[in-house]
Amino acid sequence: MNRKRILSAILWTGWLGMISAQEAGRLPASGNPASHAYSALGLPATRKVDVEWNRFYDHAGLGTILEKLHRAFPDLTRLYSVGKSVEGRDLWCLEVTAFKVGNCQRKPGMYIDGNIHGNEVQAGEVVAYTAWYLCHQYRQLAKVTDLLDRCVLYLVPTINPDGRDRWFHEAQTPHSSRSGLRPVDDDGDGRADEDDVDDLDGDGSIVQMRIRDPNGRWKPHPQFPDYFMVRAAPDEKGEYTLLGWEGLDNDGDGEVNEDPAGGYDMNRNWAWDWQPNYIQHGAMEYPFSLPETRALSEFIVSHPNIAAAQSYHNAGGMILRGPGREGGIIQPQDESVMQFIASRGEKMLPYYRSMVIWKDLYTVWGGEVDWLYGARGVVPYTTELWTSRNANRRADGEGRDEEVTFLQHVLLEEGLVQWHAFDHPTYGKVELGGTKKNWGRTPPSFLLEEECHRNMAFTLYHAEQMPRLAIPEIRLEKLDERLYKAWITVANDRVIPTRLEQDVRNHISPPDTVTVTGDQLKVLASGIVIDRFASRVTPSKRRPERLEIDAIPGMDVIRTQFLLSGSGTMRVAVDSAHGGIVTAERVLP
Amino acid sequence: MTRWRLRNCPFDSRYSSPLWLWMTVLIVTCAALSGSDYVDHSKLSAQLRQFADQHPQTVHLTPLAQSTGHRDLWLVELGVGSEDERKSRPALLLVAGIEGNDLTGSAVALAFVERLANSADQDPVVRDLLRQNTVYVLPRVNPDAAESYFLRPRQERAGTSTPTDNDHDGLTDEDGPEDLNGDGLITSMRVADPDGEYVPDPNEPRLLLRAEKARGDKAVWKLLTEGIDNDRDEQWNEDPPGGVNLNRNFPYRYAYFDHHSGLHPVSEIESRALADFFVRRPNIAIVFTYGMADNLIQTPKSEPGGKRPPTAIQEADEPYYKELGKVYREAVGLNKELTGASEPGTFSDWVYFHRGRFSLAAKAWSPWMQIEIDKARAGADRDGKTNRLDTAKDSNPKGTNQVSTPVPTQGPGETAKAVKDGPGGSADKRGESEREILKWFDTHAPEAYLPWKVFPHPDLTNRTVEIGGWAPFALTTAPTNTLDAICEKQIRFLTNLVGRLPRIALRQPKITPLGNGLFELKLQIENVGYLPTALAQGTLTREVLRTRVVLGMDERRILAGRKTTFLGPIAGSGGMEEVRYVIRSPGPCSIEVVSALGGSARQTIEFKEEQ
Repeated sequence: MNRKRILSAILWTGWLGMISAQEAGRLPASGNPASHAYSALGLPATRKVDVEWNRFYDHAGLGTILEKLHRAFPDLTRLYSVGKSVEGRDLWCLEVTAFKVGNCQRKPGMYIDGNIHGNEVQAGEVVAYTAWYLCHQYRQLAKVTDLLDRCVLYLVPTINPDGRDRWFHEAQTPHSSRSGLRPVDDDGDGRADEDDVDDLDGDGSIVQMRIRDPNGRWKPHPQFPDYFMVRAAPDEKGEYTLLGWEGLDNDGDGEVNEDPAGGYDMNRNWAWDWQPNYIQHGAMEYPFSLPETRALSEFIVSHPNIAAAQSYHNAGGMILRGPGREGGIIQPQDESVMQFIASRGEKMLPYYRSMVIWKDLYTVWGGEVDWLYGARGVVPYTTELWTSRNANRRADGEGRDEEVTFLQHVLLEEGLVQWHAFDHPTYGKVELGGTKKNWGRTPPSFLLEEECHRNMAFTLYHAEQMPRLAIPEIRLEKLDERLYKAWITVANDRVIPTRLEQDVRNHISPPDTVTVTGDQLKVLASGIVIDRFASRVTPSKRRPERLEIDAIPGMDVIRTQFLLSGSGTMRVAVDSAHGGIVTAERVLP
Repeated sequence: MTRWRLRNCPFDSRYSSPLWLWMTVLIVTCAALSGSDYVDHSKLSAQLRQFADQHPQTVHLTPLAQSTGHRDLWLVELGVGSEDERKSRPALLLVAGIEGNDLTGSAVALAFVERLANSADQDPVVRDLLRQNTVYVLPRVNPDAAESYFLRPRQERAGTSTPTDNDHDGLTDEDGPEDLNGDGLITSMRVADPDGEYVPDPNEPRLLLRAEKARGDKAVWKLLTEGIDNDRDEQWNEDPPGGVNLNRNFPYRYAYFDHHSGLHPVSEIESRALADFFVRRPNIAIVFTYGMADNLIQTPKSEPGGKRPPTAIQEADEPYYKELGKVYREAVGLNKELTGASEPGTFSDWVYFHRGRFSLAAKAWSPWMQIEIDKARAGADRDGKTNRLDTAKDSNPKGTNQVSTPVPTQGPGETAKAVKDGPGGSADKRGESEREILKWFDTHAPEAYLPWKVFPHPDLTNRTVEIGGWAPFALTTAPTNTLDAICEKQIRFLTNLVGRLPRIALRQPKITPLGNGLFELKLQIENVGYLPTALAQGTLTREVLRTRVVLGMDERRILAGRKTTFLGPIAGSGGMEEVRYVIRSPGPCSIEVVSALGGSARQTIEFKEEQ
């Protein structure tokens, strides 16, 4: 019996061993799954540069992505630093366009940045993804090819690399490390940045501190006690007092965390509707007093072809446009263009809403998009990436049930730090707990890629709406021997005009021009056709060969008239700071 | 019983009368100036270096930046001790030449440095003052524009060397003036043109009046700057070289899209160097800026606090402006308020409205002010009084005492407005102020106005063109023969101003035993200076840090009160704030009082249990 069993065990083992030997021989061949892939819509299955878009990259990581793209796509990219941060990190810009097609300095330009607030990290991934996508889809997708042939994009994934790296590499909350890192004396004690939050238990997260308190006004949520603290009803006893973020009184002044690193807002330091600190917290001493904003403003000013801009932030799912303050300037014509483009974005970005900053969010003095529009005549948006409406899949709000289901079952409680005891040197026995820094303002891994793609898609739509000029028609009429009337039509078949009303009114960019030249001809007079049916023409004042036009409106044409004498070839050139240059030729009959 | 001991009391009660009186007496008795003249950048640099070499203990010279035209933007610091020490004392900042044509203010600043340095050498009390205070002087913030005074042709400009596109044609600096008649000066051209804007002044054929259609004036002249139409756009000299007026380049009431104001606030190398310097010196309590803006010949209007953004100074700060306005007018010899106002985007307004400091501004000289000063003196002479303040050497004001009509005190551009607003308004009255000025120059500096002379203009062959009018810098820069007297008067005021800084002092701490080793400690912090430790605007903006009292001792021994106590503003002239503590003995306790603008005071006390 016993021997039989042993024997059978041996036999069984041997047989099993044989099976596993056979199984080993039948494993799939090792190799690269990428060479066995079929494209899902969105991107070709084979990629020259492999990047995983389901995690975040620090400043060096984003730099590496740009560098790899630049090496893999040298004809589509230029990589340079726009300036340096307070701590000396480079503000890397990847310029993306088809460099072999046209004059890249004269193509309509779009400036795209992200992460002006250090903690709003996924903005960096959205910008880097845009670069990655465009490089891989050029000559694959007609729309991308057309865009890079015609336009140039200046992509700066992080314009606050100091804040970003601090958020990555130090214990933070979802909301901290928003500032840059120039030291600021927040509490006015003569010392700067001397009392920041502290990771008391060394778990890498800065969470809430609470203390049991029979007179406290807070209690755990009755249904989800592990997830939320709620206020006790006015007639109800609470159980806890909340003590703020995890931290110590580092400088021994009786206050906890009252002077953290930095202490300002780079998005309040731009030179339009700027107001000082006491009116607009975080504005700093004067507009562009910070090295980052200064460098970026100089970059933008030195690229007069920039006609559109996007600045990615988080969070809330908003497509924001100016003005940042009540009564701020926005010309009605320009507002309708911006409102329209944003309304397209609302359709492309589920749960995102198109909003006006001062009216629908809050007042911002000295914001980036206000400067871009007000001072530069550019069409800009700030997109607040990510909304928990997308996790909860509820457009109407942020339901507690859905949120807990998402945390508990979809994220398997990953974003939470369970309440646990800690002996605090100032407060005594407290409890630490709450959500981690990557919960709340940033999407989870599996939604990050969607976030990147959809937002890029809206920005590419925005880029596509930059003025596209053409000379669709030249009508020549012989009035006499060697005397001609030429009607030259200049068209812009995109939504954004060559110059916004704000630009025209304030002479921000030079006027567009239509120039007619020829070796054997002379322009006697020129003008703008104001009624093509009745042939009414407003004559130009001087220099008839170089006709100035305020703007070529969106989805519209401007008709010009030139009276010429002579013969031979007539050369026409339309020159617009935002619309680029188009030319045409005709031989006079 | 308990005994306590007092150590290291730093406050010296030697100055029982207000400091500004001391200062004025000390400095004004120093050797008078003579033969002052305007100096170009290299002479200015050489003189400053010489002062620094001669007074190594008190004068410190550093370039803040290099201008667009590669000239050093000099910072002179007057103070004894290390840079860190100088940075922690109550300080005055004098800014001159921020508008490029402010040669006079620049000359005053240079004379002030020299005077203060010499006085400090001769008098231990002045040296002592420079041990307790710091005086920063920026004698020429826009050295590039000032240089145009010394070049030929001489062309007046207020802006930097930054190329600008004044006429929005995409080109920069493409149509500047030319010295057509070769006299070395860029003056004006008047072109006979019925579509012009001017008619001759019937009372003074050299001057022009703006044609007023409502009066039936038919224009005779068009007024242009001397030169040709370089870019053939039928506009003459509409885009001259330069530049941004640095004193229009600051954020308060900044004028966007005005070519004088720059691309955005603080866009220029020079204005940024000035702003950064100012931010790095939070000890500066008083700023005085020479330039077009004024709040001294006329006290600015105030408004109740709380308006955001504010449109006027705060009511609580007005008395200080009023008082110093009086002092200024007395120092320069004016017997009444004249008309003065600020301009958009000035440095001085940024300093008050955004940085919360006491910020004074005035022209060092203007013909309008000079005429009023002359009148005041003539009036005083006629009344048989001798004006004590007008004993300084001055130019001869003869022939200027016959005018009784009040005249506008602003430039010719404002004359028409002033007359329009005035009573009567007959043809004779128009241009009265400019005629008065011309008369003053005819007497004191006739070269300031050039007679109109016909010139065959290459662009305007069919028209009569005459070149002449005001010489460059004539209306903004005092004639050199009046410069010594101007410097004396301005130095008198500046010296007075140094004595107006706030100054913190700690009175003798009061220690009362409560028994069982407990003590009540009472600290009284006094402001023995003139200005409060923070103006209302300094408190509102929170840019002037609150005065803090820090006890250096084991925290557990402080049973009531806090280790660091912040105080609200303490008024000057003896204003006082009290802080109380309950302390447990024994052991030493150091007390440190730090005021942002009023310096600091330190003391150590000891609580001892009596056996």
